[in-house]
Amino acid sequence: MKEFRNMAFPYVIWIAVMIVAPMLLILLYAFTTAGNDVTTFHFTLENFTRFFSDMVFLEVLRRSLFIAIITTVICIVLGYPIAYIIANSQIKHQVRLILMITIPTWINMLVRTYAWMGILQDNGLVNQILGFFGIGHVTLLYTDFAVILGMVYNFIPFMILQIHASLTKMDKSYLEAASDLGADKVQSFLKITLPLSLPGVISGITLVFLPAVSSFFIPKLLGGGQYVLIGNVIESQFLTSGDWNFGSAISVIMAIIIMFSMYLTKKVDKDESAKGGDTV
Amino acid sequence: MKKLIQFKRIVKEFDGKLVLKGIDLDIYENEFVTLLGPSGCGKTTLLRILGGFLTPTEGQVLFDGQDISKIPPYKREVNTVFQKYALFPHMNVYNNIAFGLKIKKEPKDIIEQKVMRMLKLVNLEEYADRAVTEMSGGQQQRVAIARALVNEPSVLLLDEPLGALDLKLRKEMQRELKKIQQEVGITFIYVTHDQEEALTMSDKIVVMKEGEIQQIGSPTDIYNEPVNEYVANFIGESNIIDGIMLKDYQVMFEDKKFDCVDFGFAPNERVDVVIRPEDLDIVPKEQGKLKGIIKSVLFKGVHYEMMVETKVGTSITVKMRVSEDRPVFNEAANEKISANDFYLDVEDVAELDEATIVARADAQAWNPDTDEFISIKEIEYTIKQENGTYPVTFRTAAGTAVTVNMIVKDENRVVNKEYQEEIFAVNFFKKADEIHESIALETDLKTWANASAWSLEDGSPVEITSIHYDFDPETVTTGVYEVTFATEGYEYKVDTTDFHPEGAEVGLTFTPEDIHIMSKEQ
Repeated sequence: MKEFRNMAFPYVIWIAVMIVAPMLLILLYAFTTAGNDVTTFHFTLENFTRFFSDMVFLEVLRRSLFIAIITTVICIVLGYPIAYIIANSQIKHQVRLILMITIPTWINMLVRTYAWMGILQDNGLVNQILGFFGIGHVTLLYTDFAVILGMVYNFIPFMILQIHASLTKMDKSYLEAASDLGADKVQSFLKITLPLSLPGVISGITLVFLPAVSSFFIPKLLGGGQYVLIGNVIESQFLTSGDWNFGSAISVIMAIIIMFSMYLTKKVDKDESAKGGDTV
Repeated sequence: MKKLIQFKRIVKEFDGKLVLKGIDLDIYENEFVTLLGPSGCGKTTLLRILGGFLTPTEGQVLFDGQDISKIPPYKREVNTVFQKYALFPHMNVYNNIAFGLKIKKEPKDIIEQKVMRMLKLVNLEEYADRAVTEMSGGQQQRVAIARALVNEPSVLLLDEPLGALDLKLRKEMQRELKKIQQEVGITFIYVTHDQEEALTMSDKIVVMKEGEIQQIGSPTDIYNEPVNEYVANFIGESNIIDGIMLKDYQVMFEDKKFDCVDFGFAPNERVDVVIRPEDLDIVPKEQGKLKGIIKSVLFKGVHYEMMVETKVGTSITVKMRVSEDRPVFNEAANEKISANDFYLDVEDVAELDEATIVARADAQAWNPDTDEFISIKEIEYTIKQENGTYPVTFRTAAGTAVTVNMIVKDENRVVNKEYQEEIFAVNFFKKADEIHESIALETDLKTWANASAWSLEDGSPVEITSIHYDFDPETVTTGVYEVTFATEGYEYKVDTTDFHPEGAEVGLTFTPEDIHIMSKEQ
């Protein structure tokens, strides 16, 4: 086994250079002032106090979390039934349906988001169809609705795939046993299928909430220039203002919020499993 | 006792395949009924129809006189213990057992009382809070039984519930299940392929085969009076011998007459005679009703299991000549051709045709560069229906030719007068390569030697069961080797506590009650 252990070295180096080093750099930037050189650093908490003392930034943070949570909830509410239907159809149909869910993700996310701009704009497809039926012009683009729509559209495949995987993994004999013990279809679903598919929902939440809370091009394209989420703030700090230290600090804050929320969901999942059927 | 469940002409079809072919079966109150049969006999399908997980293609299931064929599982008064238990992994032991009661919305204190009583019944009082995933197979089994029984069903269905347990645990659970059944006093329907399990626990055994019921009866009935060879073989071990029922209370087998207790067969009806291994006794040769030689002895713990051969099989030995492959090479046409000598029986000469000659001589022609086969256009031979050596020439279109000999001999058969059996085989020629490359050598040897055996009474074929040869098939080179083909003799399995050495000549004895006669018709 020893000689095999040596083979891990390239990965260790890769991880060190490509993952650990950049993260350490972000941490370093977050806690220092601008204008340092290689030899001297001025450590400071100023970047953080600036973020938390400015109501504008806090409002942006609140809105970002709100949008991400709404997106995640919609993805669960829409994704679960879709995943359930797919998991309960015949195997050959399952393969086709899963393919239909995944095919759009083969196209670049940016391109697909631009397509939504075309569909939602004032003289776009939706408004033309509405106009055809005599329903007046509706402003769709550059609204909360457009941003949430774009996020749900882009991220829902991850939710569906995760839930589908946990549903198909479930042993069908549990449902037979539940039915045998007197549970009808609704009871079987609520007491067996749903709790047993929770791990899939949890990993779906992880995969949807994470990109949703930090996405910057979806709000930029579908929310318009005035629509700012926390991802946009970070982007502009790095690309426009050139204040890498402040941008890094916001990134660190976001990382901590995400880690905390993940910890919470995992805990809920665990408690749910441990508690078992007592919720009945 | 009253009839609780009635299966009426149940037919079940899966994708055009009949799994149940019209099952009629009555099950009474408080019975321990076992559906017994090999996998694929339809026993689990029948159980699942009763559980409500499958609907029969045809027929009715009556429960207490009511047709329940269309009632879904959750409304049936039966509960199932599943093959792999199907315990809910996200619930602890208590919640698994309480599941059915909670669904029925029973009051909490009643649920607790009932669950605790069940835990006591299955000896798991200490384990209420344990996660089911952390329990051993035997414990999970008990939880599954408790989870089903707590609902106070009038029938408990058990689908091979002990299959996943080791032998010792299985025996323990068998006793425990029987005890539980007697204690709760409800009907158990138990599916298994294990005959011993069936004999130990059941009040009634239903032996099934390919979707049909073979026999229904108590364990002793089924063991002592099997209706046919299938049941006799499935339930315990038996010696089954061909015999003729001369008249009531007298049967003949191995050309000897024996008294028996069976009657009601047609005079001279051909029957199967069953003698259980434990009913045969080994005695000195002179005192035996049958005489034989001990072929093998296996120590089984409590007893020895011996195979006693009372009749030697018929055998024939032939010569196999292994030659080098020396094909004829025609340089002008760039062709090679090869063939070998072969033996024929006089009787085969009349039916000889070119295809047979090519096959027996293994004649082939090919292009040595491309290895492509070239067809043999001409076969030249003359043959008479008497012993002798006759040349045969094979030739391609390009004129490449090889000549080999057909040797006709009529000494290729051995007749066993005593047992009215004849065996036939011929000497043959082979190339070393063909023996090296053979995948199923014994089958190939039979084909090459044209070996076959048959009964002289009615000409029916007799299987050649043993093939002996004195060469190593991997390293065989040119030379002459002997191959012996033989039919099976009569062998009896005998269970006895007295030791006798292998090779000893002994007598076998039995009483008229030890013989059970089965009609061949069923």
